[in-house]
Amino acid sequence: MDVVGLARMQFAVTGSLHFLFVVLTLGLAPLVAIMHTRYAIGGNPLHERMTRFWGQIYVINYALGIVTGLVMEFQFGLSWSGLSHYAGDVFGAPLAMETLLAFFLESTFLGLWIFGWHRLPRGLHVACIWLVTLTAYASALFIMVANSFLQNPAGSAEEGGRLVLRDFGALFTNPTLVFALPHVLSAGLWAGGFVVMGASAYHLYRRTPEREFFTRSLRIGVLTAFVGSLFTVGFGYAQFGPVSDVQPDKFHGAVPGVALGLMIMIGQFVQFGVMFVLAPLLIRDLLARWRWLHPLLMIMTPLPFVAAIAGWIVREVGRQPWLVYGKLSVADALTPGLTRADITASFAGFAGVLGLLALVDYVLIARAVRRGPGRVALGAADLPVTAEPVPAHSL
Amino acid sequence: MDIFWFLTFAVLLAGYFALEGFDIGLGVLLPVLGRSPADRDRLVGAMAPFVLANEVWLVALAGVLFGAFPVLEGQALSRLYPLVVALLLAWIVRDAGLWFRRRADGAAWRLAWDGALWAGSAGLALAWGAILVAVARGLPASPLDVPAVAGGVALLALLAWHGRTFAAWRLRSGPHGSGRALLLSACAAAAPAVLVMAAAAAHMLGNAAPDQTLTVLSVMVVPVAPILAGAQVWVWRTFSRGALPTFF
Repeated sequence: MDVVGLARMQFAVTGSLHFLFVVLTLGLAPLVAIMHTRYAIGGNPLHERMTRFWGQIYVINYALGIVTGLVMEFQFGLSWSGLSHYAGDVFGAPLAMETLLAFFLESTFLGLWIFGWHRLPRGLHVACIWLVTLTAYASALFIMVANSFLQNPAGSAEEGGRLVLRDFGALFTNPTLVFALPHVLSAGLWAGGFVVMGASAYHLYRRTPEREFFTRSLRIGVLTAFVGSLFTVGFGYAQFGPVSDVQPDKFHGAVPGVALGLMIMIGQFVQFGVMFVLAPLLIRDLLARWRWLHPLLMIMTPLPFVAAIAGWIVREVGRQPWLVYGKLSVADALTPGLTRADITASFAGFAGVLGLLALVDYVLIARAVRRGPGRVALGAADLPVTAEPVPAHSL
Repeated sequence: MDIFWFLTFAVLLAGYFALEGFDIGLGVLLPVLGRSPADRDRLVGAMAPFVLANEVWLVALAGVLFGAFPVLEGQALSRLYPLVVALLLAWIVRDAGLWFRRRADGAAWRLAWDGALWAGSAGLALAWGAILVAVARGLPASPLDVPAVAGGVALLALLAWHGRTFAAWRLRSGPHGSGRALLLSACAAAAPAVLVMAAAAAHMLGNAAPDQTLTVLSVMVVPVAPILAGAQVWVWRTFSRGALPTFF
């Protein structure tokens, strides 16, 4: 593979890893916020346990979202400096806003939420998780604005061999954005709903003592997946018109064609399954009681994740050979002088470390699910500061 | 307008070293100050609630670099390629150490991730020292040489001292445990970055994005700046004293 191919592969691998974790973050954040709100209002201990259990799953998943995201942010300058040179005056703005207006606050409020148990007043603590949710969605907005600009460079004009910003508003009304953003956010809800559903099915199948906890959770998971899958599929089909207006050949290649077929097959099939089978079985908690169905629910859990990655492959491979559609090719955007040794070493480093951490993270999520709500570290008791003081001589 | 965004960039860089500097320094000193697992838990507990609010200064810094100085972003990151890759890998390993160290039981598990936390912190300090030296010298073609290593070691020592004053202040023990010492070490940790910024000022101002881009950025970001600052203050008011949270 040549240098461009390696740099593309590095972006594809880190980007896919990033989204595997981000899609669950986007789906679980509002669910945890709702659970925490119900606890704050009603004071029901079950809601507190739900907040801490699902919140811990959310937080363990979040770790990989951060570290893969760091690589994504810096990769533009490392591998694709031609992009910042040609289009940075336009493309850089939404990315800068994502860091300052969204992620900066998301990270700060997440720290307050994770470590704020036992010290923040209940109302303010709940406000933190809502602010985390809000800023996570804002983050998705700005990233999708930036990505949609690459798909269709609206709001800009070429001047002296570089793109300049002409109409900032046009970045937000980009036809490749308006249906894709709700498509992505709904896919997050679907993934979050399926994880809650699959984990609940595990406990119900194993007949652990947390029957009420997971019967209720199963209901939340299936209803969330119902809403998420309905809107994901709807906004998915809605994109065909605007996309074929700006990128008529998008689905003609072998890779985007196959990925599109896979995504639609999973999406359509599973959406019907949720709507016509799983959701009706919530009546009288039949789904929670029919134990023979639970292994199927567990096996289905990864499907929205597979579909989400297939969706990104369609969107990104379908725009080749362009980085900025019709304006800047991927090959021309490559950092000048980037050697095969450079990119091979960094690819091995990032893919190796992030891949390993992703595996560890999934094992930890599975472990947290298996241990159940009885042994949750999130919100556990604090450590006294003076129990055993740090020896003075070592300071 | 370009001066405003240059100052924003400089403040973010200085703030990153003043704040994240003590997390990095404490990570470097973890085996020294925390001889027993219980000691290490308390040291990590002291910094844990600040890390997410501190490390994000660098994310914001990279965003401002891309938004307001896009040409420099491509230039600087690609010229510093091996150092930036090393910095990112160290950052990832350090964060993994923090997030994972308490997620499973067993002394070996904890020790392995404490090792990751230490190695990642040391890597961050060394890579940053080398990067600051390279930027001060105007991005030489091969940024890895003796001055770069010397810069890395010097920054490692500086941040370790900053981490120590933070631990002493938060854990209220030892002769250096005052807020004034922490303020002093914070200023010292930020000083190299401020000097490098002063040296790079003319070059950065000559390569800012056009006014239209900077105006849009300002209109969007300035109204939210008080919220960014307020959130940071809230973190300090909440976690400066009292018992240590245990999640990390």
